Amino acid sequence: MYVDTPLTRELIDLPDGVDLVAEMAAHGWGDGLPLVAPIPERVNAMLAGPTGGSTQTPPNLDDDAVIAVLAPRSGEATRRIVAVNAVMAGCLPEHLPVLVAAVRALARPELNLRGVNATTHCVAPLLIVHGEVARTAGYHGGLGAFGPGNRANATTGRALRLVLLHVAGATIGDGDASTQGGPAKYGYCVAENVDASPWPAYPSTVGVDAPSSVTVHCGEAPHNVHDMESDDPVRILDKVASAMTTTAQNNACISQGEYLVALCPEHAATCAEAGWTPRDVASYLFQRARLPAAELKRAFARRAWEPWMEQLGGDEPTPMTAHPDNIRVLVVGGPGKHSSVIPSWGMTRSVTVPVTGHPLVDGGPTPC
Amino acid sequence: MLIHRPDGRITTPPAVRAPSPPVLSGRRIGILDNRKPNADVLLERLADRLVERTGATVVRTETKNAAIPCDDQVLGLLAEQVDVILTGTAD
Repeated sequence: MYVDTPLTRELIDLPDGVDLVAEMAAHGWGDGLPLVAPIPERVNAMLAGPTGGSTQTPPNLDDDAVIAVLAPRSGEATRRIVAVNAVMAGCLPEHLPVLVAAVRALARPELNLRGVNATTHCVAPLLIVHGEVARTAGYHGGLGAFGPGNRANATTGRALRLVLLHVAGATIGDGDASTQGGPAKYGYCVAENVDASPWPAYPSTVGVDAPSSVTVHCGEAPHNVHDMESDDPVRILDKVASAMTTTAQNNACISQGEYLVALCPEHAATCAEAGWTPRDVASYLFQRARLPAAELKRAFARRAWEPWMEQLGGDEPTPMTAHPDNIRVLVVGGPGKHSSVIPSWGMTRSVTVPVTGHPLVDGGPTPC
Repeated sequence: MLIHRPDGRITTPPAVRAPSPPVLSGRRIGILDNRKPNADVLLERLADRLVERTGATVVRTETKNAAIPCDDQVLGLLAEQVDVILTGTAD
């Protein structure tokens, strides 16, 4: 039964004791895991923020303002709808501003969400949390950051996927044609480990100067880079380049593709101690991550390459992406010597946007 | 128990296909290749068969890349030049 109210939009009346997962699945909703029931009291608490507030507070009209339209469904994301999905995923109220910022990023045209959702590729949006909000809201960028165990990472990543399923319409076989899917499609969220990084925070390298921000990079699951022996950047980065130079990835035939290079703190320290900046790392990888033109052309009859790359032939070393700026470097992880490369899907650009309206950062709730 | 719907509203209703012409004889048919591997093979053979069977004329064009929507300019030109557009995807 659907109950229409002017401010809370549609509510569904369920019998007490109903199997929520089954009921949601009957509507085509959910990710298959147990869900928290998005009852109005919980949604209002999510919207009220971590400093509290009455769960009986009348709905705020700003919470129903459209903050993004998500493809392919053309779904209208409002702060309230994002909060509903945050409740279902198990988020805390302090996670909502991060989610709202991520949803804004998803709608940026250069991210190409329609393609990201609808492709047969396994791409999933990776949400990276930067700055004060990572600390105050409990996001984790240290040991095992891409893995389980941290509530902020796990629930925010899951909530973003629920938004994609429900609002964007990225449901399997309908708005998501991914041939094999991928584990990153359940949830894909980490923090930048800026405390363990020898370099300035990542957002400053892409022109975002805000106390808190998020980056959304639509890519594959992490490709491991293992080096326990090297004490110079070249040997480590040659292995990173090796992980980048495979004809099995979508980026190989699309020259605007990005590579997120998530160095562990120890690999980053080795680079920094030798005087290398993230830009130096990217420039080196641009030169080293190359394959013979003939090999790439043999692998892909149809390519979306820059014209100058198409002019290359034979054994000429051809870069895996058209510009060093397409190689994005940051620090993630804890002790140990494993880094990762996360190739993008190709026809997408990563987006970094500020997080606003975080009460623990800004001193009070403001409309997002 | 009352719960919120998690999907929200949609901005625009889903696009609706124009009605198909009752016959193809004498029509102008546009072939819009989305550059997916093998899409060209499927569409070319389909176009050849249609020309043989109906006497239709064919206009061929393609999108820039399979991962992004077709340019409005290309669609606008096609709309002027043809009565029916065949497109599709493949892998």
